Amino acid sequence: MLLLCLDTATPQVGVAIGSDDQVIGRIQLARPQHHAEHLAPAIAYLLEQLDLSLDQLSAIGVGIGPGLFTGLRVGVTTAKVMAQALRIPLIAVPSLDLLAFEVRYSDRLVVPALDARRGEVFYATYRQVPGGVQRLSEYEVGTPADLCAELMSRSEEVLLLGDGALRYREQFYDLERAEFGPPGLSYPSVAALVELARAKFQREDFAQPRDVHPLYLRLSDAEMNWVKQAR
Amino acid sequence: MTAGTNGAADGPAGAGAGQLILGIETSCDETACGVVEDGVNLRSSVVASQVDLHARFGGVVPEIASRAHLELVNPVIAQALVEAGLELSDLHAVAACSGPGLAGSLLVGVSAAKAVALCQGIPYVGVNHLEGHLYAAFLEEPDLEPPLCFLLVSGGHTMIVAMEGHGRYRVLGQTIDDAAGEAFDKVARHIGLGYPGGPEIDRLAALGDPDAIKFPRPMMDEGFDFSFSGLKTAVATYVKHSPDAEVTDVAAAFQEAVVDVCITKLLRGAAEVGAKTVVIGGGVAANSRLRTRLLDAAEADGRRAFLPSPSLCTDNGAMIAAAAWWRLRADGPTPLSGGAHPGLRLPTID
Ligand SMILES: [Zn+2]
Repeated sequence: MLLLCLDTATPQVGVAIGSDDQVIGRIQLARPQHHAEHLAPAIAYLLEQLDLSLDQLSAIGVGIGPGLFTGLRVGVTTAKVMAQALRIPLIAVPSLDLLAFEVRYSDRLVVPALDARRGEVFYATYRQVPGGVQRLSEYEVGTPADLCAELMSRSEEVLLLGDGALRYREQFYDLERAEFGPPGLSYPSVAALVELARAKFQREDFAQPRDVHPLYLRLSDAEMNWVKQAR
Repeated sequence: MTAGTNGAADGPAGAGAGQLILGIETSCDETACGVVEDGVNLRSSVVASQVDLHARFGGVVPEIASRAHLELVNPVIAQALVEAGLELSDLHAVAACSGPGLAGSLLVGVSAAKAVALCQGIPYVGVNHLEGHLYAAFLEEPDLEPPLCFLLVSGGHTMIVAMEGHGRYRVLGQTIDDAAGEAFDKVARHIGLGYPGGPEIDRLAALGDPDAIKFPRPMMDEGFDFSFSGLKTAVATYVKHSPDAEVTDVAAAFQEAVVDVCITKLLRGAAEVGAKTVVIGGGVAANSRLRTRLLDAAEADGRRAFLPSPSLCTDNGAMIAAAAWWRLRADGPTPLSGGAHPGLRLPTID
């Protein structure tokens, strides 16, 4: 079994290929912008170095955000069209889950927060369970202050990670017993994507390309203004 | 045409046939895909318009357009293949419009085309949208011989382009403010019509008198550049001071001014470069008054006007596939590292 996994929900371009039991190759480029210029060459390079061809793939896993819309769409479009062209299943995994899964050994409340620009973060809360993490909240978008207030009310030990948590680090200083993930865990891990996509593959938790939609969590500006005016 | 087979080299769609290119166009608010054989034979053209999604905002909203492209791109590709009777494995190359256009929208088409190129192991070609509009004409008239003079008119561009040979262009002039299509949309708003304004004004103008009001023809008497901002203002001022004017007459008189300017500049361009044939492209080239007037004016000028079908004048994927065939021959494939270029210009020989 071979899985190709893509995540472009953040400034990072991530590509990995996984087998039944391991990640056999991965590329993670943390360079901001221009996802489209790096993604297809990264896929081609990985395949070439591993001496694999696309017709050997069993499925494609893709991070569906939440994240920065333009970059996110590059990965989701690529995955959807590749799945259609190769006639293989698509596996959709929320990108925040990938951050949380990387710290699944922590017994703290795990809170990945990705930079959503405009002074906001995308976030969700998770707790360790055997073999992984369980999500406790919806996927949310809000200001660091919103998130901080929410976490204060829980008065638990928290582990914050992701580029959003680090960018707004000082806004969380009021939280007692907060710990921050390292910069190396700022972006969704494609190794985690391989693990989570493999588990879904084994459960045959597949999606048709037409049923895979990015988690935007936010309307377009024009729609937001429309809603405001309607009130 | 019979249905395609699984990449069979001996089928009607296989190696015995010509070079099949799939073209994807997502630069603005149409999600489109078409298949063209040898740059001239139209095999299919599927266009999913998003106009209803943008209508309430009175214009294209880039983020809404990008989201819709992502939802529509898979089914539009599938439908273009079905209508052409082909499988992806029959294709020789895949192209996408890589600019000019809306960045987020362009990236969906570019990503989709590169995904197909990777999966099929075929060349990818990034195509200039404006070059696509020029090559749309060859889908219905493969024997068109340069030099040709083109009028490209749409919501995004208004320009006179001389094609001196394949891939050899000279931009004689363009708008210094609004594109013609924008002027149609803005005037439509002033006289209480919906979005998009072009088809609405076209329809109402047919019921009005184009000579009822004399609107200015900006910059008509000289050069090749356009300006529609003043005309738009003149219409707005007129409507304000003459609230009882017939909307049909206002629409007809405004449209006549645009058509006069466009035709005058196009024929002036043709004379400048010695083009015996003039061609139109872009969304506004579907305007019925422009089409009938141009046929007459060109004939009176001793030239031929070639008017592609309205469905090929507006944005479509087949024009991208047609232009890609020439670009592939001239420049070879575009690397997979090629991006989207919102401000891309037509490559010129100037
Ligand atoms: Zn166009």
